[in-house]
Amino acid sequence: MSLENNKQVGPAAPPPRLRVAGIEKRFGGVHALKGVDFEVARGEVMALVGDNGAGKSTLMKILAGALTSDEGDFFIDEKPVAISNPHDAGALGIQIVYQDLALCENLDVAANLSLGAEPVKSGWQFLPRILRPLDDLEMEVRAQTAIDRLQVRTLKSVRAKVGGLSGGQRQAIAIARAVGAECSVVMLDEPTAALGVAQTRQVLDVVKRLRDTDHAVVYISHNMRDIFEVSDRICILRHGANVATWKTSETTADEIVVAMTAGLDNGANNAA
Amino acid sequence: MQPNSPFSPVERLRRLRETRLGSFVPVLLALAAIWLYFGIALPLWEFWGDQDATSIRFIFLSPRNIYNLFMQSAVIATLAVGITVVLLLGEIDLSAAATAGVCAALLGVLVLAGIPGWTACLIVMAVGVAMGAAQGLLIAYVGIPSFVVTLAGLLGYQGLMQKILPTGNLNISDPFVRAIARILVPDIWGLLLATLLVVAIAALALRRQAERKLRGLELDTATTLWGQVAFFAIIVFAAVLTMNAYRSVPLLIILLTGVTAIVGWVTTSTPFGRSIFAVGGNAESARRVGMNVKRIRVAAFGIVGLLAAIGGIFGASRYGSVSYTAFAGGSLLLESIGAAVIGGTSLFGGRGSVWNAILGALVIGSLGNGLDLSGASAADKLMFSGAILLLAVAIDALSRPAGNGQR
Repeated sequence: MSLENNKQVGPAAPPPRLRVAGIEKRFGGVHALKGVDFEVARGEVMALVGDNGAGKSTLMKILAGALTSDEGDFFIDEKPVAISNPHDAGALGIQIVYQDLALCENLDVAANLSLGAEPVKSGWQFLPRILRPLDDLEMEVRAQTAIDRLQVRTLKSVRAKVGGLSGGQRQAIAIARAVGAECSVVMLDEPTAALGVAQTRQVLDVVKRLRDTDHAVVYISHNMRDIFEVSDRICILRHGANVATWKTSETTADEIVVAMTAGLDNGANNAA
Repeated sequence: MQPNSPFSPVERLRRLRETRLGSFVPVLLALAAIWLYFGIALPLWEFWGDQDATSIRFIFLSPRNIYNLFMQSAVIATLAVGITVVLLLGEIDLSAAATAGVCAALLGVLVLAGIPGWTACLIVMAVGVAMGAAQGLLIAYVGIPSFVVTLAGLLGYQGLMQKILPTGNLNISDPFVRAIARILVPDIWGLLLATLLVVAIAALALRRQAERKLRGLELDTATTLWGQVAFFAIIVFAAVLTMNAYRSVPLLIILLTGVTAIVGWVTTSTPFGRSIFAVGGNAESARRVGMNVKRIRVAAFGIVGLLAAIGGIFGASRYGSVSYTAFAGGSLLLESIGAAVIGGTSLFGGRGSVWNAILGALVIGSLGNGLDLSGASAADKLMFSGAILLLAVAIDALSRPAGNGQR
């Protein structure tokens, strides 16, 4: 799907890459998600907003397979699928970048990007895989490719230790790690929450690159300015239920804030 | 992105420690300081202070003493290499010396019972792995902190050693076991081996550089490349020539280097080693990318057990006997943990190298040896060792990245 299709959202939009319907989740007595519908298409940034406790993180964890839903249907390209653990989600090309990034600061960028899937040199078949020599040059090549694809220009070397990088660079590396695998849906949890202006700029550029490379991006944030800069549609949750899904170009920040806090009486303007 | 402000001394130290050779610098400086003090400063001081002295006696830096120093430090170094592996995970092993003691005692009993030396060695190595892995299972699957499990192991294994050796002492005369410390490699072979090693390292470095160029990766500068080779060459040749000047290179030292090279290779150049560093750096991250953190923990403790057993064999071979005080009951445990930490391996996990542990063992060994030579009391030795250990941990704490300094 190309860029032009991004404009056609709403009922006439292209089929979503990932769609869920009627997601229910209870934690003991708490009804966290009450039949939530959500979708995201390739080449689109879908923002997910809501007040604290609205169910954003729960929904995201269910999509990533970190939590299992009590009820609900999952569709990839409108074909029903099941997501019950992170492995399922990964196999379907759904990747999540958690807020804490989970990078190893004591390792370099290349090592972090191939963590858990390190390339090994061929010709050592008599050893078990975990004891074969690492192909660290291949690792660097892959890392360089991933970094170039996201155009992280400020990163000088893939051999730099992550511990010495800036917050924006770390976020970019965490995103690059998620995208590096066979991945079509990327979910970002508050990627700019702890960043300054310049760092935020850098991360937003990476998010735009993801959209331009035909990924489906889910973007959770509290920052209206970032959302309006980067998203195509905005899905609003309140008290564990859908309020509305609007095209970013047809709404305002004030409208969103009102919908987030007070809800909405009529479902007019709904772009879902 | 980041402001290019001038670095503070702490920041400099941190950056230095991040580089590959840089991590050797603090421990090498410590070693140089100790050698200068005991080797040159102290003899000169005595010479000038004593009117009757006719010549300066450089006892500490004599080839004979350096040779003994290497041999004395070998057992500490073997254990320190093992302990480094668990320190990389962010865990600790207090039972390594007791494990070594049990293995050495078992070795003594086995060879006394007529089992051939090499079979006995293999058996105790397997027993060492089992002892370490058993503790690892408790840590990883039951979830008890390693400090507590290995403290229990320390007490339990000390008791076990006393059960195996009711008299507390056993002489070992098995020719195979004794040979490990007795065999000397002829001078010319030692030099040949050293040359071969240096050439191999240089060839590997050059081939790597060529491959980097081929794949269009950033290149190391020529200074870095040849600096590393030269650094390695100087250390290897200095060690071999010094030992040749007294006797020859002992087989024990070659075995120690070989074992360290294998453990070093596994920890830095295999997916398994990478996972050890990943778990030590951020266990949650390792878990999320699908690493089996529990199994890695058990394996690491198995490795400590193996190295403790090897240390026990080395010790039994060198002393020609197994005694309770030489292993479990003595200062071996604290010296080997101290050696690992002085070598620059972080107690907080994720940073360090087994090669540094060898240098750390030399620091501990030199300190003890030098204080012995200058007639210091046991009390002085303990206090000096404590001060050096404290200094090493302070350097470790200061050179940690600021972000995760609170834990």
